Amino acid sequence: MARRVALVLALGVFVVSLTAPASAQQPKRGGILRIADREAPNLDPHLSISFLTHSWANMVYSQLVRYAHGPEQKHTADFTVVPDLAEKWEHKSPTVIEFTLRKGVKFHNKPPVNGREVTAEDVKYSMERFRTKSAFRARFDVVQAIDVVDRHTLRVTLKEPFAPFLNHLAASTYLAILPREVEEKLKDFNRAEAMIGSGPFMVKSYQKGVQIAFERNPDYYMKGMPYLDGVVIEITPDAAARLSLLRAGKVDMGHMWGYMVPEEAKSLKQTNPEMVMTPTMTIGSGKLYFRTDQPPFNDVRVRRAVSLAINRKAWNDSINYGEGCVDAGPVPCAMSDWKLDASKMDPAKAKYLVGYDVAEAKRLLAEAGHPKGLTVPMYHWPGYAPPWRTYYDLAADDLSKIGITVEFKPEEYGKYISTTYLGKFEKMAMGPQAPGNEVDDWLFSGFYPEQPHNRSHVADAELNRMLLAQRRELDPKKRLALVHDIQRYLADKAYYVYVPTSPQYITHAPQVKGFKHHDGFSLGHRLIFTWLER
Amino acid sequence: MKQYVLRRLALAVPTLVLVSVIVFSLMRFMPGDVVTRMVEGHAYAPTVDALRTELGLDRPAYVQYLDWVSGIVLRGDFGSSYWTRQPILDEFVRRFPVTLELAALTILVSVVIGILVGIVSAVRQDTISDYVGRVFAILALSIPYFGLAVLVVVLPAIYFKWTPVWTYVSFTTSPLENLKIMIVPALVFGVTRAGPIMRIMRSALLEVMRQDYIRTAWSKGLPERAIVLRHALKNAMIPVVTLIGLQTPLYIGGSVIIEAIFRLPGVGLFFFESLTRLDYPVVQSVNLIIAAMVVGLNLAIDLTYAFLDPRIRYR
Repeated sequence: MARRVALVLALGVFVVSLTAPASAQQPKRGGILRIADREAPNLDPHLSISFLTHSWANMVYSQLVRYAHGPEQKHTADFTVVPDLAEKWEHKSPTVIEFTLRKGVKFHNKPPVNGREVTAEDVKYSMERFRTKSAFRARFDVVQAIDVVDRHTLRVTLKEPFAPFLNHLAASTYLAILPREVEEKLKDFNRAEAMIGSGPFMVKSYQKGVQIAFERNPDYYMKGMPYLDGVVIEITPDAAARLSLLRAGKVDMGHMWGYMVPEEAKSLKQTNPEMVMTPTMTIGSGKLYFRTDQPPFNDVRVRRAVSLAINRKAWNDSINYGEGCVDAGPVPCAMSDWKLDASKMDPAKAKYLVGYDVAEAKRLLAEAGHPKGLTVPMYHWPGYAPPWRTYYDLAADDLSKIGITVEFKPEEYGKYISTTYLGKFEKMAMGPQAPGNEVDDWLFSGFYPEQPHNRSHVADAELNRMLLAQRRELDPKKRLALVHDIQRYLADKAYYVYVPTSPQYITHAPQVKGFKHHDGFSLGHRLIFTWLER
Repeated sequence: MKQYVLRRLALAVPTLVLVSVIVFSLMRFMPGDVVTRMVEGHAYAPTVDALRTELGLDRPAYVQYLDWVSGIVLRGDFGSSYWTRQPILDEFVRRFPVTLELAALTILVSVVIGILVGIVSAVRQDTISDYVGRVFAILALSIPYFGLAVLVVVLPAIYFKWTPVWTYVSFTTSPLENLKIMIVPALVFGVTRAGPIMRIMRSALLEVMRQDYIRTAWSKGLPERAIVLRHALKNAMIPVVTLIGLQTPLYIGGSVIIEAIFRLPGVGLFFFESLTRLDYPVVQSVNLIIAAMVVGLNLAIDLTYAFLDPRIRYR
């Protein structure tokens, strides 16, 4: 019902936007956008594994391909791959992809690169550097060979067909294209003067711990873009200080994505009614996870009982003002291109995914040999942003109604992230999952044996076959069908029990125009299409 | 005197060795693992192992310790941060002036307020001014500085659309702009630290004022101003100076939170971020450098006693 209302509202907004006067939508050149956020720990996009580094790097560097952004994107989790440095690509065979680079794209006009053209050699150099130096190199383990065919053509040969490959290339987390001479002449990329790419912005100045200023790249290959003259990131580690800067009008955005949880947003709206806020479902999911390889959670009836005990609608109404999403997994709500809604599944199975039935939960527990209930630990990190603390309490409360007593096991972050988060815990745990841009990150990583994010220790031969098949299927329609099959298969297994996802209010000052939220770490791509109306 | 200083310096060596061992071990005892913390959502097994080898964390702990200490002793190399991959000493030297300035201003604020209020309270014992001063001291002692700092940042933004937080400018670039930025954090931090100084000042001055030589001064008919400021104050200052010396590590420790809230790019913020990231070498080295400074500072304070009380001699 809530989804239908949201759909009608979205349609309404779309119709209104079509009929709005054209002048209000006319982008304007100029102005400096100010953002308050944390500092990137390192500036080398291949060596660092921080999303902050990748967000900054995305301002400066281009990629071979990128995701659709701004007016190109259909929705906030649209991971359609569009050209960046490569103007086109072609599968010569299931394992050979040939990329044709745009001609005349130039690196920033700074020494030692001095605005020379980007060539296939640069792409090969960057890919090889990434594959030897990055801690994420495993992402491109599937690559067998990289060959420069000519100045503007590159051929990549894979060991086997691998559907997520282009998506990984488009993620700013991985393959930024760097010029070789920077490493040769300046020794490394980990300093502001070495940040020379062919992206929409150039580094103007960097004062560590204070601010980084970017200026528009006048030679950017997209003519007339970006609209902004520059972007300044005011380094502000403290969340309360970021919000104060936004309230006081000293920055236009208090966060790189403009995130704000509903409660914070509603309080800001009272003091600053002029703020523009767009409630948005972002990619993410929260769940209860289990040692499905050990009793009692190796019994599907116990897991189903847990799922049926969670009153998702009540949680969503009380915590998320009814604005969240209750059908939250295994593919997150925002990933609408891949998600198969529970409403489209067999209701007898889907009830174990989204249903609420205390009587049946009790019956299942009794059948599984726990007529008097049982006591289980819940490992978690209490420090997650709201509403997590409340979620832990709600889960314990709901489970107590079917006879499961929860023993809270709060952990310090360092311990949690390196043990529980990676599946090293006893019996049961709870928490969110880090976002991934590829549906494979949610399915293969979460369910395939030996994957660190297979926190529930799932080992299911039939599922494994399906998980591998969707990775190898290059036809998008056929792959979608496989991904839907996996979701149907998982519905009643209750390997994980998903809890409602909260919306984020994408918030910025009224002068910021054209800013469209996009999940993923491409700050530069989000800002290409943003302008200021002061 | 010279011998005394040399002996104190020699004593500092075992202290610092002990500090290095404690800091090194404590970091290793902290729950969690820096490598998995670094890769978080992207913890694919080959990634974790490769990174561990690259950072040298696959070696036995004693080898890591010896490597760290020998780097410092033999080459003056405090190592590099796991996250920023930058030399720690460079970063420390670059950031230290900010923290030093904050500490100096904080000490100035707390000393001026603490001593003035303390003197007034002692001289006007059991009057309205004394009660007001004592209430102030209790308030300053009981309000945590980080709570006050958040209120000062958040409340004006809500009610007046103004916030004291702004882009840091170094003193050498623009002294006036710099002071504008530093004054609010220094006031917040200084006021909360003035409480203990005021209380010690008051009790020490009351004690001294009851001494025979002060009675003699009164009987000679000296004005109150001369008795308090010239005769009593200097002797009453000894415990106050000791207290300021003891509080100095607190100024550095407190800067951790104050710098994060007020966007000051100092050592405190560096330390805070490194601690939350389990950046072992940074936490170890910064701790060691600060410990060395505290040892040096304590020595300096001991030497100032001689100036305040000429009867104190060093052997």
